Amino acid sequence: MTAKIEKHSPDILTERKRSFLKINSLWYFLSPSVLLVTFFYFIPFLLVFIIAFTNMDQKFNWQFVGLINFLKLFAFKDPLIPRIIRNTIIYIISTLPLTIVGALFISLLTMRINRTASIFFKTVFFFPRLVPPVVWGFLWMWSFEGTRYGVFNSILEGFGVSPIHWFIESPMLIVICANGFLGISLATLIFTSAIASIPKDYTWAAEIDGASFWQTSRFIIIPLLKWPIMTMTAWHLMSFINSYVYIFLITGGGPYHATEVWALYGYNSAFKNHQYGYGSSITVVLVIINLILLVVLLKIFGMRRMIERSRIEV
Amino acid sequence: MKKIFDKWIIYIILSLIAIPFLIMYTAFFAQVFSKGISLGVIPQKLSFSNFSFLWSTIPWGLEKTRIWGIFLNTLLFASVSGFAVTIVCTLTGYALSRIEFRGRDFFLSMQLILHAVSGQILLIAIFFLLFYTKLLYKIPGVALARASLEIPLGVWMAKGFFDTIPWDIERSAMIDGCTRFQVWYKIFLPLIKPGIGALFIWGFLFAWHDFIYVYTLLPGTVPLLSTLVQSLLATEVVDYGIIAAISLFYMLPPLFLFVFLQKALMKAPIMGGKGIA
Repeated sequence: MTAKIEKHSPDILTERKRSFLKINSLWYFLSPSVLLVTFFYFIPFLLVFIIAFTNMDQKFNWQFVGLINFLKLFAFKDPLIPRIIRNTIIYIISTLPLTIVGALFISLLTMRINRTASIFFKTVFFFPRLVPPVVWGFLWMWSFEGTRYGVFNSILEGFGVSPIHWFIESPMLIVICANGFLGISLATLIFTSAIASIPKDYTWAAEIDGASFWQTSRFIIIPLLKWPIMTMTAWHLMSFINSYVYIFLITGGGPYHATEVWALYGYNSAFKNHQYGYGSSITVVLVIINLILLVVLLKIFGMRRMIERSRIEV
Repeated sequence: MKKIFDKWIIYIILSLIAIPFLIMYTAFFAQVFSKGISLGVIPQKLSFSNFSFLWSTIPWGLEKTRIWGIFLNTLLFASVSGFAVTIVCTLTGYALSRIEFRGRDFFLSMQLILHAVSGQILLIAIFFLLFYTKLLYKIPGVALARASLEIPLGVWMAKGFFDTIPWDIERSAMIDGCTRFQVWYKIFLPLIKPGIGALFIWGFLFAWHDFIYVYTLLPGTVPLLSTLVQSLLATEVVDYGIIAAISLFYMLPPLFLFVFLQKALMKAPIMGGKGIA
């Protein structure tokens, strides 16, 4: 393509000067992002690997201690580790299906009702994305508070039920719902727009043939939504493995580590217990899990398809 | 008959899922504008006493402080992040959309990978990086760190905006004697005004809403609205009325910004060529 453009452009600059200009312009267009990405992604990436092999504490004194942090992790010298692995697995295998199935369910149902009602319901379910994490956390903490001042307890009080200690009875369920509905809000948005782009003829034809709502959804809409469902699953899998902000805000990992997941445990051991070295080694494990997952996901999705070349090159 | 029945079932199912959330949202607003609530959602008496934080002091740790200083801190933090995202992404997006260079595909896939691996998990390392470069506990440094989280996806967004502009505009500008930078600055930036607005809102909103970076990297000395709400929640005696009112105050500015920027930026001269003729 390059030759074709050059034929049209004025031949004022010599070839050498031209290539210099190109490199030069490239330099000032790209340098800001390259600098920021290097500074805040690549250097921290190396740094976390270095800190993981030290015993950095709250006074920021450190020396290399070799593999002690990792031995503590993998030889189960830390009594909390089995519990945290179990929590993480429970958290992910229940939040992910809740998000995908819930979002599919809601978007299929809202498709069938009239416009005003469907906009109302979509707004209700999209609200979690619009409010800041702190406020979302506050809403859940307050609604499920164990005393009679919590929202749901105060409603139950009206029916003569004594206050339930939600956070002691089932802390994991609250965390799963809070994060799951956050995922549902994004996935519903994607799925409804994907459903809207399916030609109406398909569903009409099926309905004339006498297909029920369930059959139309199962055999026509869901197969056509394969790509959005796959991307959303991958996206939320990564995000649930790495995210800890909402759990940190709602329960802080408690009570007694009942909701502490892997990512949150890394954060807490670094910034709450001030064992920065140990926290880093937990993060290193997380980073490695991320990289493995990425390789697998990229194999499935194919990177080439995502990066198309720009149409014409100057 | 069967069809109507089906519709009702759908409404009932959706309402059953929505009701807990509607209760939460109603309780929130009822709590903000009343002295107290009974049965969770019924406000007792209309009152604005919860908004007294606007003119009196509020507790921050063991000290007392005023909300407006905290508001200005948050505004500074979010604006720095918004501007950083806008400038960096429009520059890089232009290069990725228009200039062919070695490693371009690698660069683009790198951004996707970086976006997938959330920067939050590297927080410990970023903490030490800022500590050793003396940027820790300072708003601009932390804002840049926050902005860098949004850059990978922002670059893709910006590339998308530049891709929509016809090549003829650029070619004619370069024949008229513009350099690359002049093309970017004089021709393209006016054409992608809505995109710039979207990028700025993107960077601003995520920084305004951010909690974990602010909480970890700007502790104690520099309060922001998100950490203020969290610190009020973490105290012994929690006054839900005041927290709800501050939360509402915290959520409103991005909304105003969005309405304001939408009016200013949606009048883009996309179809009008270079905007000169």
